[in-house]
Amino acid sequence: MPSILPQLIINGLIAGSIYALAAAGFALVYYVVKFQYFSHGAMIAAGAYFFFLFANVLGLSFAIAGILAIACTIIITLAVNYLVYLPLRKRKATSNVMLITSVVLLMFFSSLILALFGSSTKTLVLGSEGQIFDFGLFTITSLQAYIIFFAIALFFVLYLIMKKTRIGKAMRALADNKSVAQVVGINPERVYTYVFIISGAFAAVSGILVGLEQNLYPKMGVIIIIKGFISSVVGGLGSVPGSVIGGFFIGLIENVGVWYLPTGYKDLISFSVMILFLLLRPQGILGVKLRDDT
Amino acid sequence: MIHEFFIQDFTWFFIYLIIVLSFNLAFGFTGMVNLGHMVSVGIGAYTSALLTLNGVPWYIALLAAGIIACVIGTIIAAITVRLKGDYFQIVTLGLIFIAIAVSRNWISLTRGALGLPGVPDIIRSNFYYMLFTMVLSLMALWFVYWLTNSETGKIFQAIRDDETATAILGKNTYFYKVLSLAISTFLAGIAGGLMVHQINFVDPSIFDLEQFIIILFMLIVGGLASIKGSILGVFLLFALIDLLRFLVVRPELIGPVRQMALLLILLLVLIYRPKGIFGKVDI
Repeated sequence: MPSILPQLIINGLIAGSIYALAAAGFALVYYVVKFQYFSHGAMIAAGAYFFFLFANVLGLSFAIAGILAIACTIIITLAVNYLVYLPLRKRKATSNVMLITSVVLLMFFSSLILALFGSSTKTLVLGSEGQIFDFGLFTITSLQAYIIFFAIALFFVLYLIMKKTRIGKAMRALADNKSVAQVVGINPERVYTYVFIISGAFAAVSGILVGLEQNLYPKMGVIIIIKGFISSVVGGLGSVPGSVIGGFFIGLIENVGVWYLPTGYKDLISFSVMILFLLLRPQGILGVKLRDDT
Repeated sequence: MIHEFFIQDFTWFFIYLIIVLSFNLAFGFTGMVNLGHMVSVGIGAYTSALLTLNGVPWYIALLAAGIIACVIGTIIAAITVRLKGDYFQIVTLGLIFIAIAVSRNWISLTRGALGLPGVPDIIRSNFYYMLFTMVLSLMALWFVYWLTNSETGKIFQAIRDDETATAILGKNTYFYKVLSLAISTFLAGIAGGLMVHQINFVDPSIFDLEQFIIILFMLIVGGLASIKGSILGVFLLFALIDLLRFLVVRPELIGPVRQMALLLILLLVLIYRPKGIFGKVDI
């Protein structure tokens, strides 16, 4: 049945954009601040639930709710940075402590959402239902087209920030060599603040897009960041462009793999791919140099 | 006559003590940050449940629970122990999600999300079952104490403190790391078997991160590389859960509030005292 292959590829691209968005925020923090930022998943869930609160509960318009959700998610991301990660960095906590702390934070936010919003799944209702375009070989809704468009646009913006602005150059300098960057007068904490602002904005946008495409549930952050993280490992941990490529790669593999295996095995496919990469090509698709800090 | 409530609590205390001691052996004493420890517990639980449901005597099933968990754990350890940097932690974290996916989808074996109900008791009386778990956990306690004070245990701790130096002294660090994980997963499998005969049921939620957070709390708050820390950690968790049972009035909030309280304490310990109460080392 080769006729469903184009549809599977389109589904893979849609899932891939979501994974790539999650992976980009995770990878940016990993690249500059150098730790496994699993609590990014919590921020994605926070963005989605803020949007739900503003758009569906309070009934604000789509654009205002979106801007408010992004602003609130950035505030929470910064608060977590100052209350949790900053004291850990000051104490020079090991990467194990940082990793465990970020997993603990991820679980903390999912229980907080469970306590505040209950365990039922929430649906984001838009004013107008998305149109469905039928191209013969495959169909795609306007919402799904928006997701792919937004993802690619955001990656382009991130690329411009990283390559063209002063703060982007400071981020790359810090990522390459922290002590040299400090010698030339870059204040790491100030740059980290910008990193968390960008990652918070990414989290909110990916949360809103995931919420519109799927549903909201308290553990959504855990599920999404796991995929984002796998994408990042496959694309090359510590490489933002690599993580984006990894996101699309994992999305495509999972969805085309469904051709051979039952849908329930999607997770298994991506994890097996990740473990194969870790064993055979730990530097990932883009071949980033291995960081050995243990 | 001890109240039924306390019998149940003590049984859980002894089961979790075995889990945390084995977790500590790999994590605290050898420095192997094995985030997939609950996977071994779950494998033990499923093994013992499936065997006893098919009429195998409980003592064989319980032993098989340990052995199967140990065999799978050793194979995974043999492959992943060589990974550099954070990658060992990452793969072991990934194992949790692989275990969830497999246990949900291998329906012919695990009945998927429905789980396996009606697992028979080992001993009908709850009181004698508590004594049974107590004897096994004391054996585990003595064993871990003896092991960590033996020459092998000293090598484990040397690997944790400085792996390169230990290798230079002529010790095969790869072998000892796999050995530590093999013993750790064997004990975890036995504990999983004890767990499934206590609740008479197992389903994929045994692998959930919530379950892992519980043993992480016990280990880290109690203290790494400390046996008395593990005992205290398990005790503190049960004390906290019993306390919250009386404090939280609305029943639908008990789950999330308990989880948040645990995670908040764990977070504070990680930020301000990552060694835990009796801990000897920093992770």
